[in-house]
Order: sequence, then C-alpha cells, then structure tokens
Amino acid sequence: MADKDTRPTTMMIAAMGGEGGGVLTAWVVAAARKANLPVQATSIPGVAQRTGATTYYIEILPTKWDELGDKEPVLDLYPGPGSIDVMVATELLETGRAMERGFISPERTTLVASTHRVYTLSEKMAMGDQRYDGSKVMEAAKQMAHGTIMFNMEKAAQDVGSIINSVVLGAIAGSGRLPIPAEAFRAEIEATGRAVKANLAGFDAGLAYAKGDIVEVLPDQAERQAPSRKPEKKVAEFKARIERDYPSEVHPIVMEACGRVLDFQDAKYARLYLDRLDAIRKIDDGRKDGDYKLTNEVARHLGLRMTFEDIMRVAQLKSRKSRFERVRREVEAADDQLVKVTEHFKPGPYEFASVLPKRLGRRIVRWADNNPEKARKWHFGLHIRTDTVFGFYRVRTLAAMRKVRRMGYRYHEEQELIDSWLELIKQAARVGRNMALEVCECARLVKGYSDTHKRGTGNFKRIADGLIRPAIEAGTDVSDEIARLREAALADPEGDTLTDALGMGNAPTPVAAE
Amino acid sequence: MERSFAKEVQALKKGDGEVFEGEGILAVTKAALQSGVSYVGGYQGSPVSHLVDVLSDAKDIMDEYGVHLEICANEAGAASMLGASVNYPIRGLVTWKSTVGTNVASDALSNLSSTGVIGGAVVVIGEDYGEGASIIQERSHAFAMKSSLWMLDPRPNLNSMVNTVEKAFELSEASNAPVMVMLRILACHVQGRFTAKDNKHGRFSGNNKIDSPDFDYQRLAMAPATYNQEKSKWEHRFPAAIDFIRREKMNEFFDGDMKDIGIICQGGLYNTVMRGLEEIGLADGYGNSKVPIYCLNVTYPLVDDEVTDFCAGKDHVLVVEEGHPEYIEQQITVALRRADVQTKVWGKGPFPMAGQYTSGVIQTGLAKWIDEIKPEGADVDRAVAHAEHIGSLSGKAIAYLGTQVPMRPPTFCTGCPERPVFSAISLMEKDLGKTHISADIGCHTFSTLPPFNLGNTVLGYGLGLASSTGIAPNFSKRVISIMGDGGFWHNGLSTGISSSLSNKNDSVLIIMKNGYTSATGWQGVPSTPKDGNFDQSDMSIEETLNSMGVKWMRKVRTYSVGKMVKTLKQAMTTAEKGLKVIIAESECMLAKQRRVKAERAERLKAGKRAVRERFGIDDDVCTGDHSCIRLSGCPSLTIKANPDPLRTDPIAHVNTGCVGCGLCGEIAHAAILCPSFYRAEIVYNPNMVERVFSGIRKAMIRPFMTGEAIRLTDPLPGVMEQEEAAKAA
Repeated sequence: MADKDTRPTTMMIAAMGGEGGGVLTAWVVAAARKANLPVQATSIPGVAQRTGATTYYIEILPTKWDELGDKEPVLDLYPGPGSIDVMVATELLETGRAMERGFISPERTTLVASTHRVYTLSEKMAMGDQRYDGSKVMEAAKQMAHGTIMFNMEKAAQDVGSIINSVVLGAIAGSGRLPIPAEAFRAEIEATGRAVKANLAGFDAGLAYAKGDIVEVLPDQAERQAPSRKPEKKVAEFKARIERDYPSEVHPIVMEACGRVLDFQDAKYARLYLDRLDAIRKIDDGRKDGDYKLTNEVARHLGLRMTFEDIMRVAQLKSRKSRFERVRREVEAADDQLVKVTEHFKPGPYEFASVLPKRLGRRIVRWADNNPEKARKWHFGLHIRTDTVFGFYRVRTLAAMRKVRRMGYRYHEEQELIDSWLELIKQAARVGRNMALEVCECARLVKGYSDTHKRGTGNFKRIADGLIRPAIEAGTDVSDEIARLREAALADPEGDTLTDALGMGNAPTPVAAE
Repeated sequence: MERSFAKEVQALKKGDGEVFEGEGILAVTKAALQSGVSYVGGYQGSPVSHLVDVLSDAKDIMDEYGVHLEICANEAGAASMLGASVNYPIRGLVTWKSTVGTNVASDALSNLSSTGVIGGAVVVIGEDYGEGASIIQERSHAFAMKSSLWMLDPRPNLNSMVNTVEKAFELSEASNAPVMVMLRILACHVQGRFTAKDNKHGRFSGNNKIDSPDFDYQRLAMAPATYNQEKSKWEHRFPAAIDFIRREKMNEFFDGDMKDIGIICQGGLYNTVMRGLEEIGLADGYGNSKVPIYCLNVTYPLVDDEVTDFCAGKDHVLVVEEGHPEYIEQQITVALRRADVQTKVWGKGPFPMAGQYTSGVIQTGLAKWIDEIKPEGADVDRAVAHAEHIGSLSGKAIAYLGTQVPMRPPTFCTGCPERPVFSAISLMEKDLGKTHISADIGCHTFSTLPPFNLGNTVLGYGLGLASSTGIAPNFSKRVISIMGDGGFWHNGLSTGISSSLSNKNDSVLIIMKNGYTSATGWQGVPSTPKDGNFDQSDMSIEETLNSMGVKWMRKVRTYSVGKMVKTLKQAMTTAEKGLKVIIAESECMLAKQRRVKAERAERLKAGKRAVRERFGIDDDVCTGDHSCIRLSGCPSLTIKANPDPLRTDPIAHVNTGCVGCGLCGEIAHAAILCPSFYRAEIVYNPNMVERVFSGIRKAMIRPFMTGEAIRLTDPLPGVMEQEEAAKAA
C-alpha cells in the first residue's frame, strides 16, 4: 500500500550549531506551505543546541491540500533508516555519521553534502595527526547513495559572502527531489527579508554547483606562499653542491631544508647541514638500489631540528613584512582598516638560558629542572605590540641576536641532541633500513615550546634508552616496536601511555615529576 | 532570550476557523488561550524552553485576557502556582522539562494531587527522553500513577495536541484532578497546522478578580483531610475521569480488516506506528490501517472496558509503549485477565525494553511481531525483508567506511566565559594534584567532556555543592563544587549554600555567573543585569552570600586564567576553614556577541570608529603539538593541514568564528605554551590621529623588517596544497 502517490518526500538535514539549519528548515517549510503542500518539520536540538550535531527532519506530501479532499495525511516525526529521499549533511564527517545510522540508501537517497571538514575535538586534541580520512566518506557515499551532490559548500558560501545554509538550499533545489521549484525557494529567501542579497547569491551558487554549471576548481596555489629571497651569490654554492652530490628525487626536500637552515643562521651552518646529511646519504649510496628514502626523511627532519624555535627564530619569523601581510589577510582586515597586533610571549629560565653562555645557561636549566615550582615564578608575561615602533624594535632586536646564537646554551644543547639522534640513525641503519627510518621519524616527538618541548625531548630519550640502544647492541630489528612507542608517546600529553608501553609500571618519569 | 517569538505570537490572536500554522509549543499556548486560562507559568528546560519564551513574548496578548504570567524560580514554584485552582474555579497551565522538572516539582505536585482541584490545572511536560535528551532516562508516567493525576499523550499533530490541551482542562475539572499533557521532544518542535478557535476569557482573571477567599479544611493537604482525599481519589476522581474519557472519546479507535489482531499504542507514537504499517504494506499514508488500532491519547488512567472491548475476539494484540517499565502493558494484561479475555498480549519482546521508539525501531518491532503471529492478510515475507533491509544499511556503510567516524560531543561555545575556568582548574590540578569535583547542571556540565574531563558527579540542578557534602569530609584534598547562577537561584542557595554554612563544611564552591540560564536559551535569572529585556532582575549574588555569612569570597573575571589559577590555589590551600566561594564572572558570550555585533553594525553604518578583536596563529611558529587545544577546546581554535612542506602534523589554526575572548592568549601565558598566538584588533573607520600615527609607525618600522625567507629554489607546495590536489584528483 505504500504507493508512490501517498508517500511523502522526506528530507533529513544533519547540521551543526550556528550554520543556520533552523532558517534553512523554515525556508523549505514556508515554500511548501505556499505551494499548498502538506508539510511537517521537526528538529532535535537537545543538548546539542550549542556546538554539537543538530538534526532537522521534514516531510512534504507531493499532493496539494485541495486535491486531497477530506483525506488527512499522517506524517512521521522520525526519520527512518532506508526511507530518506534527500539526506543533507553540512559537513563531511556528518555524512559518514548519517550513513552509519542507515539514513542513506542506494534505492532512495540523494545525498546533498558539503565536503569541507569541521574537525572533532578528538581529532584536534591529538598530539600528532589523528584526522579522520575524509576520502573514505567520499568513496562510501558513492556506494551507499542513489545520487550525490557533493562539493565544498563552506567555500562556496565564503566565495559569495553568504553563510552555508543558503548554498545548501540551492543544492537541495538543484537536486530536483523536492516537489518545489527553485523559484519558490528564491521567493522565500526574498520574503524573509534578511541578508537577501547574500542569501540569493549563496542559493544561486549552490544551485549552479548542483546542476554542474560550476565545477570545483583548486584554489590558487601561488597566492598562499610567502615571498622569498634567492640571493644567487649566497645560495649558488649550496644549489651546486646538492645538485652534484644528491639524486634528483631528494632535491626538493634537501633544497627546501638547506635553504631554511641558511635562512636560520648562515652559510657555515648550512654547510654543517649538508655535511651531516652527507653521512646519511652515504648509507643510501652504499645500498646501490637507488632508494634514497632515508636521506629524504633525514633531510626533512634535520632541516627542522637545526632550525629549532628559540626566541631569536620566533622574533625573526614575526618581524617579516610578509608576516604582517599574512596577519591582515588572516583577520580579514580591509585596506582602509588598521590592525593592531599584540604578541604573547612568556619567557622564563629556559628561554633566558638559551641566550646565555653555555655554562651559565646549563646551570640555570639545571636549577629550573630541579625547582619547577620556583622556575614557574621566573616567567615574565610580555604583551608586545609589534605594530608600534618601540614594540617592533624590541622584537627586531631579539631577531638580530641570532648573530650570537652560537654562543648560547640552547644552540649547544640542540647540536648535541641532533648529533646523538643522527648517530642513532646510523647505528640503526646497520641493523636495518626500516629501523633507521623509524628512529629518524622519532624526531616528530621533539616539538613545541617550554614544557611541551621538554616532554618531547624526554620521551625521545626514554624510547632511545629503553628500546633503541639495547636493540642496536643486540642487533635486533625493532622497527614495529619503535613505531608503536612513538604512537604511544603521542597518545597522551602526560606520557602515561608511553610509560605503559615501555612496561615501566610505576617507575617515575620525567613528566610525572613535574 | 536567544530566540524571539515576537512575530510568531501574533498567530495567537487568530479566531474561529482561521488556519494556524506554526510550532507545537505555540499551538499549546493557543490552546490555553482558547480554554480561557487565567494564569500560566513555568521553568525553562528543553524541550519546553521555548514554551516559556513564547509565553513571555505573548505578554501583551495575555494581558488583554488578564492572564498572569509567572516566570517561576523553579519547577516547585510552577507546580505550587496551581494551588490557585484548589480553591477557585480558575484555570491554570504550567510547564517544565520532565522527569527532572517533575522531580523538583514533586512536593507541590503530590500535595496538589491529594487536595484535588476545582479549576482546571494542567501541566505541560516536555518529556526529555531519547535522542537529543540531556537528562536521565526515566518515564514521567510513574508519577501520574503514584499521585493519581492524569497523563495525556496526544497524537503528534497540531490538531490533536490543541484538542488534547483543551480537553485536559475539562477533564481536570470533571474529575477534580490535575492533568499532565506529555509532549515528546520532536512534538514540541513540530511544525504543522490546525484550525483555530476564538480565545476565551477566564471566569476569573486579572480583569475579573475573585473577591472572597475560600476556606475548606477538606481542601488542605493536612491530616485528617488527607485520609478523605485518598479515598476520594478512588471513589470519586478516578471514576469521574474514566467517565469523561469514555464520554468525550479521548482515546481513538481506528478499525481495520484484520479483525483477529490489533495494536494499542500511545498517542505520541501513533504517526510512527502508521508509517511502520505503511512500510510493510498494512496501511496507507492517510490513517487507513488494515490492523485495528486503539490509540491511547490518555495513557493514565486506562479505561479498562475500552481495552477489553477492543481486545475481545482478537487472538493477538500488540502494545506499543515507549520506555521502561512497561506500565501500560502490565495494566492491559491485568485488565484482560480480570475480564477473562484470552487475547495474547505482545509488547516488550518484539520491541526493546528501553530506549526511544524511532521509526527504525518501530518498523523492526512490527515486522518481528507480524513474523511471529503470521496473520492472515499480511505479507509476512515483505515485512521481514523490509526489516532486514533497513537493518542492513548501517552495517554496509560501516563496512565501506572501514573505521567508525569520531563522535562530535557538544562543548562550550566559541568564546564561552566558562571554558577558561576549567582551563584554570586543569592548570591548578597540574600543580596541586587532582581533586574531587561535584559538577552541576548547566552549560558548565560540558566540563565533564573532553578536553577537560572535569567533574566526578552530576546529581541535579543546583545540587553541585549539596552533592559534595558527603565526600568532602572523606576526601584528602578540599573538594570543589560547581554551580551556575541559574542553579544558584533554582535551589543551590538553600540546598547548597545555607546548608553548607550551617554545617560549617570546608570546601570550595565556584559560582559561574554569566547572567542567564544560557543552556536553555538565555532566560533571565534573578541576578540578570537589568536592561530592556529583563526588568525583574538585578539581585546580587555577592550581597546574598555576604548576608548569609560567607567569609571567604573572591570575584574573578573568568578570562583571567592566571588570576583564577592563583585564586583557586589560595582557596585550596588556605588555612581558613569553611566555605570558600569563587564567583567566576563574565557574560555569556552568545548573548554578549549578539549585542556587540549589533552595536558594531550600527556604528559602521554611521561611519563611526569600531573595533573588532580576534586571535590568530603564526603558521611558521606553531609546531603542531596542539597543547593549546587540549587546554581550551574552543570551536574556533581548530587545526589545518600544515602549509610547511617539511612538516606533516597539522598545525593549530584560529578560524573566522573567533570572537577575540582572549582565552588563547591567557592560556599561552598561564600554561607557558608557545609564542605563536597573536591578538589582532581591527580598527574600522580609524580617526585622523590614528591614521597619521599609523603612517609614521609604518615608515619607521618598514625599513627594519627582517628579510624574507631565503630559499634555494621556488617553494614546494605545502602539505595543504598537496592534500587539496589529491582530493581534487
């Protein structure tokens, strides 16, 4: 009896707070009412009214009231699995969720979804990269839905200066699955009388995408790159050396990294970079199979490790012209608007030590390590306005201090850490290439500032001492084990997972001592 | 209020024969006016928060009919309001979220149910059960049974809902008992239509006041009157209610061809049952079912002979009853047994014992039942195949997806003033160790979710402090309790603070003072600052605490994380015994932004100077360890693919939603995180002096800027571009 003519057209909208899902629903309901079609809509805001997922459900009978006579349609309030005609999701992961809940069926469902991502907290909180692979949702959608209209609706909305709901409405209209013509929706947007121009622009964009009149294009890549200098005299030496000594497949990374090291300090330091890398390259040379993956990976990490973020580096990065331009772009300031920029610094004993001579610096760091409570009090909060003359000069002076960086404690400390890491890679390479790669990858653990940096360095040391060194001595390949411990170290900020993984039970850890 | 119904409430003026189109709760308000109600009240809470908002916005219309609106301090207050109908023939309607609201109201509600009423007394409860619910999962039904008040559960279309509310007043008067009208979450928000009637004036109201008081000891919930009242419930009120329900045909019979079987369902589930029958070929979309249906718009009391009449001659009857325990099914079984009717009763079995009865659940349950009893005239194979099909979709999708998509739990809004307090507690605990935290109900309960995971118990609204009194003396550290300003006035003041003071408890209480009950949509609380929207307010929490004798009290702006950490440490370690109160004050950011944005738009329109603040992150300074996110969780503090070709981990990123609350900078400072954050103030229409100044600054700064990055070759595409290219391919 579930005949086509008695069956309402059903639409479910999975949105998130603040996307205007309520207004979107109201547009559809109003358009259906004006078309004299029986319509019922409801929503589940619940506790998710603020920032979680919000669901709207609409049923529209494609038969007009006056054709129904005395028949009264019974419309359902609940979306049913397998019975959704139009599934709308305003974000990619929510598309996956709708699928998981059975709301997308190959027989019936047209999927109208945005491909952009709003990351969940668990993805954002991870210390490394725990982003969900969105391409899986795209592929699954093609299998599970009867038809799909998928594009980056957030970007489409930004492009025309509207919010996402009007683009979604355009895409819904473009799907042709609702018994309401596109013009009726446009009329409804006009009738609402708020942000009409922007909403119509969004609607038209959504409609055009849905009909295939607009095809998504890649964003302009050149625009996003910061400007750079290539002083030929300075860089020629390094370019020549790299081109001479290294196979072409590693050129991009080695050039990028070597240039960064040069930018960080000077030619002498860049030479040191290549000297260090040469030793690794020789390992790959010896393999004679033309595989330079280890060289490539070490080149990448070594470039990052040698350009550690001390005060001088941060000041250098923050006082570039392109940086101020980027800030203006980022905060969406128009040309006639002024932008005041305040930097948040809080240097403490570690930062002071880093610029002090080696021995003095070491003493301060030792003191701070032993007296973390007291050390905390020796941090100074600085709010520096880098758009003012005095504020900028202060930061610029710090940047200039990189000339004397070599004399400082931090420089020596970092070089020691780098050398011991490289040494470990070399030794691991004797056991096996995979193991060398895994040891190299452990450089990912060392990042951040202050406590985060200390913790990362500590975690690296724990894995090196607890697993890698003994394995090298025994000559056993523990690649998988290293990968597992590295993931464990990135699993939680307190280092508990790593402690468990290392089987150290109750042993005090450098982190627990904080 | 977050949502204004100023425009929608105009529909409440509609008269006889006009078509009313709108939301469920608006229709309920209209039904009350059509019933000649004299007073209304309630306490906000989803899913009936908007009903309170509608009543407020409809004040002018209410005034015309002399209807008094009371925004009650809590549900107990709302239930007590119905006391007006004990002595006088006037009608009242109150509303709250249930079951929690019913629990708070229970003292007054029980007494009211004992004395009985002579004016119609109706409670509209938002049954917050199932998907989207924010509270414990229980049935309000039990309360109706134990207190002998009646429970209505109308079909979820506006006609039925309006009709049921009107009938509820009549039923209440006919049987001298208060009546609950239960609306499920989706029914509260349903958009539909019905044909309106004229509004009515109440017999007595603000326009026509009662002159003389009624005294009748029999109407007091005092012994020995209570003994008679109990008797009256069974001798008079119950039979009167049954008569009325039967006479007015409040429950509905829908006949069908398959005479040997039948379905008894709660009214609220009728539409979903019909859709289920339609999907398996046993009904059409217009309410014509092959299976006879007995629809219970009144779920308590049951009319036993209606039940036995419906079942007589049937082999099988299916009870579709949501929730646990299955009170209705039990009662039907008893009724049939007593009448010696041998129909087999099905219910829980084909249907799950607990949980929401969504479309999928009902369709699956119906198919199971049909498969069990294989009735003549039903296409059993089709039903089974349908259930299998809808059940398989989820599994198929999960197989394609490979891994389950991560959850998206709700969290504090962008710029929420309560988030920094929990950042501060996290930082305090890093130094002093973890302690027990008695959480409360409100937006601040989001602290129990990631990234904070703070809060060890949640026992009820305003009960944060009270729920710490057992654990505090048994815990080695001082325990912390949380309470919102909403919870403070709701009952935290008496249950928590006065009790704690008189018992000389030693603990720390944080009162979140953001100015509104924000979680339910910014309704005012007694301490809401006075302005155009809130004229009843402006009471002082501080003065109240002072007068109660709180000795240790500190007020801290929530965004000052450093100061908050320091204050928390003091409270945790001071030698001073007794209750230590920290008032964490900053206005709800949603409310503030709505005001600030409007003001800014106004200034910009007039070409005046205006300032917008927000935070940003320097891509090349961020190393992608996300410590900042773990201490914040702000929706606008997110991640993006690393634009640096040498790095792979995503970096932190502040999106355009940022309102510049300042927390990012505060955390970077208090937790000593990293220097990649910057605060930007964007000045619109800067004045002449500023412009000149800025020009001079630029001239003095530009020549000294550090050189752009040195590169050996053209830049590599960053990971971000690589990812986008891969996606496009």
